[in-house]
Amino acid sequence: MKKELIELRVNGRKHELAIEPSELLLDVLRQELDFTGSKRGCDDSSCGACTVLVDGVPTLSCTMLAMSCASDEQDGPDITTVEGIADHGALAAIQKAYGDWGGAQCGFCTPGFMVTVKALLDRNPEPSEEEIRHALSGNLCRCTGYTQMYQAIKAAIEAEQANR
Amino acid sequence: MIPHRKNAGSGLWKELRSGLRKNMSLPSFKFLRPRSLRQAVDYLARHGNDLAILAGGTDLLPSMKQKLFTPGYVMDIRGIEEIQGIHVRPGAGVEIGALTPLSAIEDSEFIRRSYRVLHEAAMTVASPILRNMGTLGGNICLDTRCVWYNQSLQWRRSCGFCIKKDGDLCHVAPGGKFCWAAFSGDTPPALLCLGAEVEIAGPSGLRRVALKDFYTNVGDARMKIERNEMLTRVFLPQESVGWKGSYMKLRIRGSIDYPLAGVAVALKKNGGPVENARVAITAVNPAPLLVKGAENALVGKQIDEHVAAVVGELAAKMAKPLTTSGLTPEYRREIVKVYAKRAVLAAR
Amino acid sequence: MSEFSVIGKRVALVDSAGKTTGQGKYTDDLSVPGMLTGKILHSPYPHARIKKIDTSKAEAVDGVVCVVTGPDAPNKYGILPVGHDETALAVEKVRYVGDNVACVVAESESIAERALELIEVEYEQLPAWFDPEDSMKAEKDWIHPQRPNNIEKDYHHVFGDPGKGFAEADVVMEHRYIAGEVTHAAMEPHCTLASFEIDSQTGQPGRLTVWSSTQVPYYLQHKLSIVLELPMQQIRVIKPLVGGGFGGKSEVIPLEIIAAVAARKAKAPVKITYTREEVFWAHRGRPRTIIDMKIGAKKDGHLTAVAAKVIQDGGAYCSYGVVTILYSGALLGALYDIPNIKYDGYRVLTNKPACGAMRGHGTVNVRFAFESQLDEIAAKLDIDPAEIRRINLLKPPCITVNNLRVQSYGLPECIDKVISRSGWHERRSKLPPARGMGMACSHYVSGAANSIIRSDMPHSTVNIKIDRDGGVVVYTGASDIGQGSDTMVAQIVAEVLGIGLGRIRVIAADTDLTPIDIGSYSSRVTFMNGNASLRAGQDVRKKIAAAAAVKMNCAPEDVMMRDDRVWKRGTAEPATNGAHAEQMLEKIDAPRGSVREVSGRVEGQTLRGSLQQKRKDEGPKDSMSFEEAVVSAIDFTGALTGTGSYAPPKDARGGAFKGAGVGPSPAYSYSAQVAEVTVDEETGEVKVHKVWAAHDCGRALNPVSVEGQVIGSVWMGLGQAMQEEMVWKDGLLMNPGMLEYKSPSATESPEVECIIVESVDPEGPFGAKEASEGSLAATIPAIANAIYDAVGVRLREAPFTPERVLAAIKAKHSEKKALDITRGDDPVTPTTFREHGGSLWFKGKGPQRHADDPSRRA
Ligand SMILES: Cc1cc2nc3c(=O)[nH]c(=O)nc-3n(C[C@H](O)[C@H](O)[C@H](O)COP(=O)(O)OP(=O)(O)OC[C@H]3O[C@@H](n4cnc5c(N)ncnc54)[C@H](O)[C@@H]3O)c2cc1C
Ligand code: SF4
Ligand code: FES
Ligand code: FES
Repeated sequence: MKKELIELRVNGRKHELAIEPSELLLDVLRQELDFTGSKRGCDDSSCGACTVLVDGVPTLSCTMLAMSCASDEQDGPDITTVEGIADHGALAAIQKAYGDWGGAQCGFCTPGFMVTVKALLDRNPEPSEEEIRHALSGNLCRCTGYTQMYQAIKAAIEAEQANR
Repeated sequence: MIPHRKNAGSGLWKELRSGLRKNMSLPSFKFLRPRSLRQAVDYLARHGNDLAILAGGTDLLPSMKQKLFTPGYVMDIRGIEEIQGIHVRPGAGVEIGALTPLSAIEDSEFIRRSYRVLHEAAMTVASPILRNMGTLGGNICLDTRCVWYNQSLQWRRSCGFCIKKDGDLCHVAPGGKFCWAAFSGDTPPALLCLGAEVEIAGPSGLRRVALKDFYTNVGDARMKIERNEMLTRVFLPQESVGWKGSYMKLRIRGSIDYPLAGVAVALKKNGGPVENARVAITAVNPAPLLVKGAENALVGKQIDEHVAAVVGELAAKMAKPLTTSGLTPEYRREIVKVYAKRAVLAAR
Repeated sequence: MSEFSVIGKRVALVDSAGKTTGQGKYTDDLSVPGMLTGKILHSPYPHARIKKIDTSKAEAVDGVVCVVTGPDAPNKYGILPVGHDETALAVEKVRYVGDNVACVVAESESIAERALELIEVEYEQLPAWFDPEDSMKAEKDWIHPQRPNNIEKDYHHVFGDPGKGFAEADVVMEHRYIAGEVTHAAMEPHCTLASFEIDSQTGQPGRLTVWSSTQVPYYLQHKLSIVLELPMQQIRVIKPLVGGGFGGKSEVIPLEIIAAVAARKAKAPVKITYTREEVFWAHRGRPRTIIDMKIGAKKDGHLTAVAAKVIQDGGAYCSYGVVTILYSGALLGALYDIPNIKYDGYRVLTNKPACGAMRGHGTVNVRFAFESQLDEIAAKLDIDPAEIRRINLLKPPCITVNNLRVQSYGLPECIDKVISRSGWHERRSKLPPARGMGMACSHYVSGAANSIIRSDMPHSTVNIKIDRDGGVVVYTGASDIGQGSDTMVAQIVAEVLGIGLGRIRVIAADTDLTPIDIGSYSSRVTFMNGNASLRAGQDVRKKIAAAAAVKMNCAPEDVMMRDDRVWKRGTAEPATNGAHAEQMLEKIDAPRGSVREVSGRVEGQTLRGSLQQKRKDEGPKDSMSFEEAVVSAIDFTGALTGTGSYAPPKDARGGAFKGAGVGPSPAYSYSAQVAEVTVDEETGEVKVHKVWAAHDCGRALNPVSVEGQVIGSVWMGLGQAMQEEMVWKDGLLMNPGMLEYKSPSATESPEVECIIVESVDPEGPFGAKEASEGSLAATIPAIANAIYDAVGVRLREAPFTPERVLAAIKAKHSEKKALDITRGDDPVTPTTFREHGGSLWFKGKGPQRHADDPSRRA
């Protein structure tokens, strides 16, 4: 199949690249653009390791065609991967908190959680425990049992508030 | 039966030779992205026979990775503004664009207040991330599911292909000539309870059908829609605004999982006895179905354990679960009974 | 915990920023120039002879570089020396659906996929075995001809006098328990990248470098050497970040060997990444297990004897099987005081993916049976479940009847803590209907005292290098798979040298750079690699102290090191709160006290260079920075290095009988748990509200990590108890994906409260023992016991799916046709394996198999 030239907007920059129409956003991010932060954990769209933000909305990049995000007559969406979460070169509060509170063990699910939590807090800066649990329920983690993530998220919220 | 490798006569073999195939990546196709309904209908008219409609893609793309579909064209309809969003038509119900993400329904205060059962059902679909992506139209047009079918190509080859794809037997009902794959969407039973209609666009224009007439109850030909047509809008009538409602779903995990059984109940009731009612079930038949006799059992009654139990029995009678998914069919039928009873009680 | 400066502190994992930013690299994130992709062709049959493989059409595809098949690398390997029964690709037979037949190496994944379809394989089907009890009776068509009756291994152990024990008992309980098959489902699918370098001398491909998602780089190096017939020194294995292991990466997985063989044949680097389905086929998870458990007890609750017969459905290859079946028996001991034990274990081959080591290796399913039955005995004798466990505690230090040495034993405290935190006595009797609490205990080894390759070599060695910059580089073979071993090593070295973590760089798990460590499994790393790190730290500390002593004009043992400062005893600078530190340094000293005096060799040496001379001129001083001390030591010797190693002591290595090698450990961790559940009596759905888990980890070197490991174990046990199960149909896995294999999501995962108990082991580094596995096993019986407490049904088959719970409840109320729900299978008295797997999903026709298959004969 012939490749097509497309433009993607990832982490605030524009990227031009040639891809086959059948390529998944995840593969393009990882293989063409070297944003290897997003992971592939499954083949049936069930694990959330590949989650990125598409115009701020958590989206499975393994279940999204790169073509669907390309700019055409209209600008394509802003894609944010875990690489785009850090705060001016330093850990964002949520990243720091995940480290401090054991929210990341092997770390393979972590990029997915980072963007999911970022979207949650952008929308709802003070979520209840129930809302947090609910928001995380589309990302699977096999190491932590999630408990320490809740502590991390609470700590991040506190850190953000202290900063404000 | 495992087709002999060299002379497998099925269409599959041909497809495999025809292009580049990745095991868990997508087969090749041409990509279309209409920006208007007109353009979409135009593409459908031209390529309808070899085209898959991509809305949220949460059902289509995993299936394409498994080589269940190998269309020549994939048409991403997300760019069509006209069929997005929830539009209240004062005094005439609501119109919901097929492309409305399920999360928008979940977040809509209007839906929560006016069409409770839909709100509850939408909230249980898959996971929050999948609801950001999955659309209402996609949920209605969801492919039927079966553990013997929703598997990789290698798996299906090893097992032997079945009627729904590439084969001629059914693993669920051996000897049968019929596919029993289960319709496993959560919102359609709720929509059935609310008396929804859907609008379908095609080369000959727009048509509207009642959702209850949209499904076939046949596993491998689930809905009455032509290959060159698409679903554009869903209409909920004014009549069912404010009905009390409840949706109960059997799943193993609290998130992500498809329903193994689901029951939706909507009741019209203002303090007194039930004035109108519908009950529908999902994931236990090849289509979401309205429970026959439920209306009779409920209308004019005050709801109590007994009335609810009668509805439970009626629902269980309609449920024909088979070994298309996890947990035994006997258990799933039992749960339809219990959940229907509970949903009636919860809705009151 | 202020005695220590780093140990016992809550610190973020040293590699956590790489994980939260996405910068950290896992194997699949790597690429090298010219890298090709490998894709594996898998068997569609559970048991078949390969008559012919024709790869010519595949090879002809444009973009295909080569196709590898069994004969390209026929040498057998296996993780256990007694179980060398695998080849890289099938040589003669395939033994399970998913067995590896051929590998296409191509320029892209899509080309490789297309070529796979063109490989023509002619198979002759053989009868296949899916049920272990059936398989044991096989008289022909054995899966491996050298294993008659498909029995991989059986053991028959008798300790004490079980006959007498049962005769003395007032109650004897005997039941069959069955636990379903589960798998690790680590989030990272396995991946390997293999690349040969061209040798400068010969101009031919020479050294091989392999990057792989492995828990055991050194075993991988060893097995690669066997299969490729390359000396080990020509092979370098590097472990990048690993996305979870849980045992699933603790042995050599087919793709690791295949990638290397493929790279050799393709003469180019090759990367293979498993699809999720392939991960399920690679498996090596926890086998389906049948346990016939018999326990005898006196009226007062004292246990008199235990007899267990265990049959494991091991799959088609040995893998860790021999060890698994031994653990099942050996760890009947070392938790409670059991005077008489009889154990019969059978590891059976079946035509399914091989089972191997999974978190709680070998102990989990037997513990489910034991702790459930102990509860039944308690109920029968009208003794509180917590009390019967207290009655049967060991009295350490002691040697158990099966020769396990127990020293530190925090179980009594674990029970006390979990009882009080959960409100066991106050709340249990007052719970609403259908709500209940259950308790159970478990334990696990802190590494095996005998390595699987019998030798006297140390199990762990750690090197440290410090150069003039004052940076401390620690070289450890320990494989961090997310459990935090890099951090553990850094903490230990930091504590010993009295420096901050920021100064330490850990280089880990690279066979060219790091000394041999046998890997991350059986919870050995903190204990063994930690001890080696401790000793390596002491080794360099000794050298620094000697040099600093000269500078400060004092004896080496008067040199104090903490907070990046070095000072002479008694001259502490108030600024660093040194006086307090000094007292502390005095107090802790099991490890530090053993820093012996250095020889006087250093004394007479002449110092070189002007800097040193200048310093000398300054005359003696009372304190200095860590850098100064280091530089002064380096001035004597050149870059400072230290080495430490660890081998388990002789008296911890167990008995001399056949199979005695498995079970002994230098130390055991202990766990006591209480689970609280509500059972929906109408649907059988069980909600787990909370689990309290008290875990004796000796000493919590990093409480964040310990809590993470304990909670993670409990949570994984919960998955096995409630919802995870591999379901089979005629050898075909029905749920090979993350959607249908039900690893718990955030919604149904209960709160787990971790209570750390510190028994301070005399031999552990700073007293530490394992924390990552021991808690898993107790969770399953704790939940089973809680369900019993709630609704009075005793589930003896796991997982406790709603259909099983409901069937048991209905049967209890003598409802007619109660067992229709489970299609006739009684979860209260399970009898045999259902060929179609746990939930009996599938009565359908299924795949066409050999006419002689047991499933067809029925
Ligand atoms: C892990 C996982 C779990 C899931 N769990 C659930 C669940 O619990 N409950 C549930 O209901 N669903 C579930 N789903 C399925 C899916 O996410 C939802 O049903 C979603 O609403 C589908 O919408 P979509 O827009 O993504 O559909 P798509 O994948 O885009 O489309 C689905 C099908 O409908 C067709 N189609 C889509 N839009 C139209 C249209 N406008 N006109 C004509 N045909 C159209 C497509 O061609 C395709 O065949 C799950 C999916 C995954 C991957
Ligand atoms: S119901 Fe039968 S025919 Fe339909 S998908 Fe399942 S196995 Fe195939
Ligand atoms: S990779 Fe698992 S959901 Fe995308
Ligand atoms: S930290 Fe390992 S999967 Fe989440």
